[in-house]
Amino acid sequence: MSNQPSRIAGDVPIRWSRYKFPDTFLRYGAWLCVFVFLVYCVEYLNIPLDRLLGVFGRMGDIVANRYYPPDMEYIMDREYLDYVVETIQMAYLGALFGIGLTLPLGWFAAYNMTPSRRFIYPLARLITMSCRAVHEMIWAILFVSILGYGMLAGVLALTLFCTGFAGKLLAEEIEAIDMGPVEAMRSTGANLFQTMIFGVFPQIRVAFTGIAIYTWDVAFRAATVVGFFGAGGMGWYLKRNVLQIETERVAAILISILILVMISETVSAWARGKAMKMQ
Amino acid sequence: MEILNVTGLHASYSSSGPEILKGIDFAVEDDDFFAIIGPSGAGKSTLIRCINRLVEPSKGTILFDGREVTRLPRRELRRLRRDIGVIFQEFNLIDRMSVMDNVLSGRLGYIGNFRTLFRAFPRSDIDQGLRLLDRVGLIDHVDKRADELSGGQRQRVGIARALMQNPKMLLLDEPTSALDPKISREIMGLVKQMATELNVPCLCNIHDVQLATEFCNKIIGLQDGYMMFNGPTEEMDEAKLNEIYAMEVL
Amino acid sequence: MNDEATAIRMTSDIILERRRKSRNVRLCVYLALTLLVAWSVQVTIIDDTDWERMGSLANVLEGANRFIGIDFSLFKDLVEPTIETFMIACLGTLLGVIICIPAAWFGAMNITPFKPITYPLARMMMTISRSIHEIVWALFFVAVVGLGALPGIFAIAVRSVGFIAKMSAEAIEDIDPGPVEAIRSVGGNNLQVLIYAILPQILPQVLGVIIFEWEINIRRSAILGLVGAGGLGLVFFRQMNTFNYHGVMTVIIAILGLILLGEAFSHWVRRKII
Repeated sequence: MSNQPSRIAGDVPIRWSRYKFPDTFLRYGAWLCVFVFLVYCVEYLNIPLDRLLGVFGRMGDIVANRYYPPDMEYIMDREYLDYVVETIQMAYLGALFGIGLTLPLGWFAAYNMTPSRRFIYPLARLITMSCRAVHEMIWAILFVSILGYGMLAGVLALTLFCTGFAGKLLAEEIEAIDMGPVEAMRSTGANLFQTMIFGVFPQIRVAFTGIAIYTWDVAFRAATVVGFFGAGGMGWYLKRNVLQIETERVAAILISILILVMISETVSAWARGKAMKMQ
Repeated sequence: MEILNVTGLHASYSSSGPEILKGIDFAVEDDDFFAIIGPSGAGKSTLIRCINRLVEPSKGTILFDGREVTRLPRRELRRLRRDIGVIFQEFNLIDRMSVMDNVLSGRLGYIGNFRTLFRAFPRSDIDQGLRLLDRVGLIDHVDKRADELSGGQRQRVGIARALMQNPKMLLLDEPTSALDPKISREIMGLVKQMATELNVPCLCNIHDVQLATEFCNKIIGLQDGYMMFNGPTEEMDEAKLNEIYAMEVL
Repeated sequence: MNDEATAIRMTSDIILERRRKSRNVRLCVYLALTLLVAWSVQVTIIDDTDWERMGSLANVLEGANRFIGIDFSLFKDLVEPTIETFMIACLGTLLGVIICIPAAWFGAMNITPFKPITYPLARMMMTISRSIHEIVWALFFVAVVGLGALPGIFAIAVRSVGFIAKMSAEAIEDIDPGPVEAIRSVGGNNLQVLIYAILPQILPQVLGVIIFEWEINIRRSAILGLVGAGGLGLVFFRQMNTFNYHGVMTVIIAILGLILLGEAFSHWVRRKII
C-alpha cells in the first residue's frame, strides 16, 4: 500500500552520466590550471607556508600589546582636529572637481552619445581609464613632486582619482539609457547639446546624484591617506607616527578614520536614499 | 486508511498579525485526490504550507502517517518533509542547474552532506530520475538548464522532483495557475495518472473550480480562513460555490 | 460655489507658496555649498600651497616635463616585479574570497545564524575592511610579518573582503525564496539549501564582483611596494628617490599595461559568465 515507497518499474531509458567527454574534461582541466598557477604563485613569491599559522598568533599578540590601548587623547587634540577638517575639505574639493570633469568626460566616453565615435570617444575612454588605472597614491606622489608639498597636490590627485572613478560609472549609466527620448529630441532638430540636456540628463539625474555621493564617499577614504606622501591632510600624521613607531597613536588615528568613514557612509547612504526618493 | 488528519488548525504569519486559518478540520484518505478551493486570500496556500510546516501553525494538530507534525523536532521534521512531495505554483526550480540535477535534488533528504557537496547521487537514484523524466516526457531535455524550458515543461520537472522523493503524499500548491488552460489540464492529468499509478494521495490547492471538479474526488472550500464546505465532489453545487466565492469581487 | 472657488485659489496659493519656499531652501543650499567651496579653496589651495617654491606656470610645466620619456634600460628590471604584482593581486583576491565566505554568510540577514551577534559582527568587519586604506593595511601587515609579498597579500585580502562580502550578502538577501522553499520541502538540511538553492542563484553575480575586485586589486598591488610589500611599487619608489623621472614614467606605463591586460581578461570572463 501507500506506506510502502513505490518505485517506477521498467528499464532505464538512456545512459546518463554527469561527466561528458570534452566538456567536463576541459572544465576540470581549466580548474587544474588555475590551481597549478596559484601554487606556482606561492612558490614564486617565497611565501613561508609553514610560518603562516604562527603569523596569526603574532598578529593578535601585536594588536593586543602594542596597538592597545589607543591613545585617544592624541586624536582629541585641537591641531589634529584641524587636520581632520582639512582632510574633509580636500575630499570635498577633489570630489567636486572630479565630478565637474566627469560630466563632459562621461558624456564623451559613452558610446551612444559621444560627439565623435572615431576621435573623441577613444580619447575620453583613454583619459578616464588612465585616471582610474593609476592609483591615487601615485597621482599624489607625482603631484607632490611637481607642485611641492601641500594640499593642492592632494586635491589634484583626488580630482583625477574621482574623474576616473565617476567617469566610468557615468558613461555606463549613459550607455544604458532609453534611446526613445533621444530620438524624439533629435527629430525635433535639437543639436547634440540640447539632446543631452533634454533627452539624456533627465534620465540619468538620479543615478548621477547617486554616483556623485558615492564618489564623495570614496574620495574621503582616499583623502585620509594621500597625505602619506606629503599631499596634505591627516595622512601626514599617520605617516609620522608610523615612522616613529608610536603604535598606540597609530591605533587612535585608525579609530578616528574608522569613525569618520562610518559617519560619511551613514550620511551618504541617507543622502542617496533621499535622492532616490526624489525621483 | 487515513494518511493525514488535520483538526482545529489555526495559523498566522506573525504572532501579532491577523489569523489566516481559523480552525480547519479535514482528513485525507490514502487514495484521495483532495482539492482545496476558495477565493484568493482565503488561506489555501497557508494551509498547504502548514502541513509540512513551511508555515508554523499556531494551534491545532496535524497527524500525518501516524506522526504529530506540529511538534516534530528539526531532524524529524526533515524526515517528514522527505515523505511529502510538494509541487509549487512558481515551480521553484533551481534555474541555473540542469533538469537532471533539479530532479535529483528531490533525493536530497536521503543523502548525506558529503554526497551533496559533490552532487554524487547513487546510481539507483539516477536511474529512477531517468525513468521519471521519461514518464513526464522530458527525456530529451535531461542536460538542458531548467530556465531554458517552457512553463509546462518546468512544471513537469517539478512533478518529477516531487516524485523522486518517493512521497507518501503529494501537496500541490496551485500547480497550474502559472500555466495556460490547455497545459493546465495536461499537467493535472499527468499528476493524477502518476499518483494513481504510484498510490500516492494528493492534496491539491486549486483556484480553478472546473479543474477541481474534474480531477478531484473530495473538496474543501475555504473562505477567509474558515472552512465552508467539506465533502465529496458530487455534493458540490452552484449554491455552495456561490457561497464560497461570495466575498470575491470580480 | 464661491466656497469652491476660494478653496481652489487656496490650494493654488499654497502650491505657489510651497514652491517659493522650496526654491528659497534650494537657493540657501546652493549658497552654502558655494561658500563651502570658497572656504575649502581658501584653506587647502591658497593658504596651504607653497606658491614661491612652485614658481611660475613655466616652472610647473618644466617640472611636469621631466617625466616625459622612457627609460629603456629599466625594462629588464621590471619583468619580475610585474609578475610579482600580478601574483600578489591573484593570491590576495583568493584569500579575500576565502575570508569572505563566513563574512557573507553572517552578514546576510536571511541566513545569518544568530542575528543579534553574527549580523552586526559581519557588518562591522565589512566596514572596517572597506574604510581603512590598503596602504594602511599594508603598513600594519609589514609591521607584523615583515617585508615581502606576504604582507601585500594580506593587505589586499583584508581590503577586498569588505566589498565582496557586502555585495555577496546583498545578493544572498535578494535571492528568490522559491527554490529555498523547494529544497526545504524535499527534506534538505541547511547545507543542502545553501548548495542547491542559494549558491546557484548568487554565483554569477558573486563571480562578477570577484573579478571586478581582482581588477582593482591589480591596481592596488602595484602600489603596495611603496610601503615595503613587494611588487612594482618598490621599483617606483626607488626611481622616485633616485630622481630618475623617466624611470618613474616607465614604471607607470608598466602598471598601465598590466591593468589593461587585467581589464581585457576580466571583460572576457564576465562576458563568458553572463
